Amino acid sequence: MKRRRVTGEGQTIRDERRKDGEFDPLDLAVMSHAVAMIAEEMGTVLERGALSPNIRERRDASSALFDVHGTMVAQAAHIPVHLGAMPESVRAVRARQPEPGDVFILNDPFHGGSHLPDLTLVEAIDIDGEIAGYTAIRAHHADVGGMSPGSMPQGATELVQEGIILPPVRLERRGVPDASMMELILANVRTPEERRGDLAAQRGACAAGAAGWRALVAREGAAHLTAACNALLAYTERRAVARLVAIGNATGSAEDMLEGDGHSNNPVPLAVKLEIRDGKLHLDFTGTSPRVRGNVNTPMAVTRAASLFVLRTLLDDDVPTNEGIARAISIVTPDDCLINAKWPSAVAAGNVETSQRVTDLLFAALADAGVAVPAQGQGTMNNITFGGEGWTFYETLGGGQGASARGAGPSAVHVGMSNTRNTPIESLERSYPILIDEYSIRRGSGGAGQFNGGDGVVRKYHVMERCTVTLLTERRTRAPRGAMGGGDGLVGRNLLNGNPLPAKCRVELSAGDVVTIETPGGGGYGKL
Amino acid sequence: MARHLGATRRKSLTYSVGIDVGGTYTDLAAVGSDGAIQARKVLSTPADQSEGVAASLAALGAPPSDVGRVAHGTTVVTNLLLERRGARVVLCATSGASDLLELRRQERAALYDLSAQHPPPLVENDRVIAVHERRTPAGVTVPLTPAEAKRVAEAVAKLEPEIIVVSLLHAYDNDAHELLLADAIMDRLPGVAVVRSAQVLPEIREYERTTTAVAEGYARPRVSLYLKHLSERLTRSGYPAPEVMTSGGGMRTAAEASNAAASLALSGPAGGVVGSAAVLRAAGLRDALTIDIGGTSADAGLVLDGEPLVEPGGSVAGVPIALPRVLVETVSAGGGSIAWIDDGGALRVGPRSAGAVPGPVAFGRGGTQPTVTDAHISLGRLDAARLSGGVTLDAPAAIRAISALAEKLGASPERTAEAIIAIADAAMARALRRVSVERGIDPRSCALVAFGGGGPLHACALADLLGMNTILVPPHAGVLSALGLAIAPERRDAATSVMRAADAVDQGWFGARLDTLAMRAANASAQRLAWHARVRYAGQGHELDISCVPGDDGAVLSARFATAHAARYGFTLERSVEIVAVRVAATGDAIDVKFSASGAKKRSFAGPRVETLADATMVVAPGWKARWLEIGGWMVERL
Repeated sequence: MKRRRVTGEGQTIRDERRKDGEFDPLDLAVMSHAVAMIAEEMGTVLERGALSPNIRERRDASSALFDVHGTMVAQAAHIPVHLGAMPESVRAVRARQPEPGDVFILNDPFHGGSHLPDLTLVEAIDIDGEIAGYTAIRAHHADVGGMSPGSMPQGATELVQEGIILPPVRLERRGVPDASMMELILANVRTPEERRGDLAAQRGACAAGAAGWRALVAREGAAHLTAACNALLAYTERRAVARLVAIGNATGSAEDMLEGDGHSNNPVPLAVKLEIRDGKLHLDFTGTSPRVRGNVNTPMAVTRAASLFVLRTLLDDDVPTNEGIARAISIVTPDDCLINAKWPSAVAAGNVETSQRVTDLLFAALADAGVAVPAQGQGTMNNITFGGEGWTFYETLGGGQGASARGAGPSAVHVGMSNTRNTPIESLERSYPILIDEYSIRRGSGGAGQFNGGDGVVRKYHVMERCTVTLLTERRTRAPRGAMGGGDGLVGRNLLNGNPLPAKCRVELSAGDVVTIETPGGGGYGKL
Repeated sequence: MARHLGATRRKSLTYSVGIDVGGTYTDLAAVGSDGAIQARKVLSTPADQSEGVAASLAALGAPPSDVGRVAHGTTVVTNLLLERRGARVVLCATSGASDLLELRRQERAALYDLSAQHPPPLVENDRVIAVHERRTPAGVTVPLTPAEAKRVAEAVAKLEPEIIVVSLLHAYDNDAHELLLADAIMDRLPGVAVVRSAQVLPEIREYERTTTAVAEGYARPRVSLYLKHLSERLTRSGYPAPEVMTSGGGMRTAAEASNAAASLALSGPAGGVVGSAAVLRAAGLRDALTIDIGGTSADAGLVLDGEPLVEPGGSVAGVPIALPRVLVETVSAGGGSIAWIDDGGALRVGPRSAGAVPGPVAFGRGGTQPTVTDAHISLGRLDAARLSGGVTLDAPAAIRAISALAEKLGASPERTAEAIIAIADAAMARALRRVSVERGIDPRSCALVAFGGGGPLHACALADLLGMNTILVPPHAGVLSALGLAIAPERRDAATSVMRAADAVDQGWFGARLDTLAMRAANASAQRLAWHARVRYAGQGHELDISCVPGDDGAVLSARFATAHAARYGFTLERSVEIVAVRVAATGDAIDVKFSASGAKKRSFAGPRVETLADATMVVAPGWKARWLEIGGWMVERL
């Protein structure tokens, strides 16, 4: 192995063993632990403090730390779709001339957000009157207003229908809360008190992150910390490049499609050409559909997150999660297309469903290029949103993961861009007028093969009072594919009192109605 | 006073004995009625831990009749969970929700490794019986009929279980159906134990409650057999039957522990934190992080206000067990951790360990990859004579292995050895940070208690990383866990669900609750009672533990909660407060122990210096000074 050294920009101030700007492997290990710890601590504060089951039970949230230049140096390993999307949030905030101690809130998909229910707080960390870095925490809120309870509407055609739109605006100015901003936000949502509590917990998490960062700066010195962060990013990039070099130069392509945009059932095509060249991953999405009328569009941040995720799965588990991975990827998309949509596109389902399809697409292109990847997983998050008098409830369901050369696919897990937990039946039934008649493994739904695909799940919601349900699901007609001769997984099914429901729909329910979701199985691997 | 062991025996000393069984060594610490401490170390006997226990008592050499008490820390449960060698369990769960062990909490085993599988559940699908019954928060919607109970009992019998677990939805709230079903099963299978979820853990969240009950069923038959066997072995030789430390730091009789197997999952490491707390108090300190560094791993813990921090639950060997446990974070970093270079060119240490065999290169037992211990040896920090234990150290071999690695890194051997140690330090520091920072505790306000074979070696570096200023290297650092067992008082816990808005809690009602609890936890010995309430804002899913006393009312608890919430999470809410549960710990008298230094008084000194202790080696780094303590051991402070 050749000797490798990393060079950063800063000056060493603590340790005479270090020469100017030089970082050795020891520093990297220490810094990697230190910043990851702070991001994890933010997540703990949020989960323990929050009110809504989607955040406190399901952990539909992510936290990240950014250096003084707005470069992401660590993200707590929670939700992949937030990976690589939060740097956009901080960029958008930095474009608004933040002052030290400012706390911004945003959800505008075209200014640093992903889809409207994801409310992101960004704090400009104040150290001695200067900005020393940023903390950001994103959480999926169970309602942000708009045309449907739960703010995950089916059939929206423009963003403004999907909820309150928040470009980066100040919740606090130099540490002083702006109560009128909070009032404005809460006046536009269906469950203001729950939002108030969840936002307070998010605010607490930001503060915890800022405190951790200050302690780190105090210990390491600002200049050294900046240099170390740069070295950490370079290290991550090196790990990514090393992996791509090991794969070797290769090309592949793939096509796939969404099962309708929520407005019509016309398939929406996606395409990619992939090239691995000299340790870099080039992705060209030319051939992907222009933006569509319904809300399966996504801003570029989500596409970037999906690309990052796919590369990340090729790396060892210990590689730090930061923007260094992004440096090994270049992305080309058509302008204003499905996966790089512009205002005023509706996007609620894009973040959760189109992101999954982009992931499937990229894995298929990798397979085409000869890289060993698993068979397809369920390829959907199965978004279910209920809303009734004074309450909204949102959750997503796991399904089957594809099998691989290493063995069977895991059952009943989120695949791809989500990793939220389930809502315990007992917590759900205590919080909402819904009974879960069944929550079980959907046996035999994984594709058969030398190794079987993972099984999906069955979940039956028995509503006790009038309410609406909105479903945003995929893989209801086009099955997750098997690999190397393995069988396909079963498509998912949505049912109301035993009768089929569309993949994407909104239905008014009466007391006693039962909505059943059967999630797709993963593809099998290898001939039987 | 039960613990004044010498009171009735004039002629000879009596002993309170603590025995800690580890992977390599079984440690014994005996505290005499005069308060003096003796220590022994014998090899562990993994096939039957009780042999090593008996051997350690033989090594003590005291007449059995002089041993007043044997307190035991065991890894039997941890090991059977790790090796999946537990009982054949049949689980009865509510129909429609009987796949819950496979469904888990929906998280994948690894975020980015798409093929990673969770460990299989302790009970496989074909040994789960769906029970046609249903309770909801509003009441029963499907009654459990006698016919259904009988059908289930019959189906259970066909599967020939060693033990049965019954876990039904919402049983934390009302366990009538669990009781009915358990009765029907016991009628059909007399003599086979039935574990009910509401007995083991009467708390909301069906997955966590069920896995805990299943862990209890899975471990109970083996554990009760082991404890019975151990009790017989000891009593046959004239020793008292053992008491066993729980994961929560409590102490139960062997008979009680046999029916609380899931509560023993961290019996071993808990003793170390309890021992740390005792030494800390003896040294006049209150708050500390603890680090126990062994051959393959390091355990970090937290002591606040002189007491080990106890948490509501977590995973052991991939098995979620939601029972109170002394907070212990384990990292795979110890003396045997192997140093290597990854494909990004970074130096890495662990998680692979050379273990005891082949061991570090310097042990000359066939190890070829340099370890943390080799790095210490190459820097001259470990005295060959002290590590011996039958091993002749080959220091030149250690230096050669480090040099080979250094060449690949393009660094000097000295720098490489320092980096290996520093990386191990970083991993351990992360564990220490998890037990402190993550809980809102500032490590800089704590002392560091460093013990186990490697603790005193790494202490200064760890303190530097965490900005800590005080290190306590305890007397008997090598057997502190056993000492913790020897001096741990008997402790009984009782808890009850309250589930009531703080507004509706008045002094009289609350006081009556606490008094009832205290009666339930009562035992013969003199007691100290400590009450805690689990409190949250209405709508939160997690609680904070707030200390309380009879005389408190809802308003007092709310105020105390708001203060604690602000301190931990940085915010408060204008929202009603709920008291979820209250619990009490009734603690017997502590064993009197005289920490006293043996041998001549030692002089204080400043680092850098390597000091050889009775059962460990201490490195005092530059910028630190070591002060010899009257209680034995050293206080190492920043200059």
